[in-house]
Amino acid sequence: MASTVIGAGITIEGEITTEEDIAIAGTVRGKLSAKEVVTIEPGATVEADVQGGSLVIGGALTGNVTAGDRVDLQAGARVVGNVKAARVTIADGAQFKGNVDMDL
Amino acid sequence: MADNTTVIGKATRVRGRLTGKADVDVQGFIEGEITVSGDVTVDSSGIVDASVRGRRLLIRGAVRGDLLGEESVTLADGARVVGDIRAPRVAIALGALARGSVETVEDRAMSPASARVQSVARPATSAGHRGAPATAGPSRAVAPALVDRSTPKTQASVSASASVATATASADGTPVHAGPRRPPPPVVPSLKKAKAQILKKRER
Repeated sequence: MASTVIGAGITIEGEITTEEDIAIAGTVRGKLSAKEVVTIEPGATVEADVQGGSLVIGGALTGNVTAGDRVDLQAGARVVGNVKAARVTIADGAQFKGNVDMDL
Repeated sequence: MADNTTVIGKATRVRGRLTGKADVDVQGFIEGEITVSGDVTVDSSGIVDASVRGRRLLIRGAVRGDLLGEESVTLADGARVVGDIRAPRVAIALGALARGSVETVEDRAMSPASARVQSVARPATSAGHRGAPATAGPSRAVAPALVDRSTPKTQASVSASASVATATASADGTPVHAGPRRPPPPVVPSLKKAKAQILKKRER
């Protein structure tokens, strides 16, 4: 259980900065900066540039993604934007449009 | 979904608006309005720098902004609130700090339009009480769960008995302002003069 949870039915418009795990099941528009694990649950909508330690994406994400460690696109994810991380996985069934950058 | 509560954790900072239907638990920092139809809890580690609107508000931490509860607003021990409080039921516990006007209103008066009108009209009122003269305003606004619903509206500035209870109990001794907000006292010119003289003396 992440320390910060944006539940389903909640919308945040603005900037979120966190130094702990964050799980999003609702809607976030703006910017999201995290140091630890960012989980975008199935059903969530994120329209933001996302920065995090590692990212697990199961929902819809529009924006550029940067992770210090890794990015995992799960089946059912819908991502439009560029992904930059040392390790990137895209599961079968994930929708993705954008560039992948695995440079270090 | 098992747990639909939104949690803003201790190490999380949000700058922007938070809206929606679920309950919200603030343990971190929010700089932006909270408008939800669920309950809002501001924990002792939570800080909200904007107005909060929800069904039931429970404040244990710090809020700088107006509190609007569709059902109730509760300030627990340790709460620090600077802003107006408006809800059908308002409770301020011993040890809570509040600065602003308190108004217990019926549910129907909670529509956004009328709330806005009241908040605009508020600074113009000169006296602390605006309710019917027969009602004991302050004590009613303070006593938890003692609101008489037969009276449509009772208003009291957090002054009389509320501030006596809270001010004496506040740990850091911060006084709660009595009566309506006043402008700061004018600067006394002679004080300036005296200070200058003291400084002069020291120079010598």
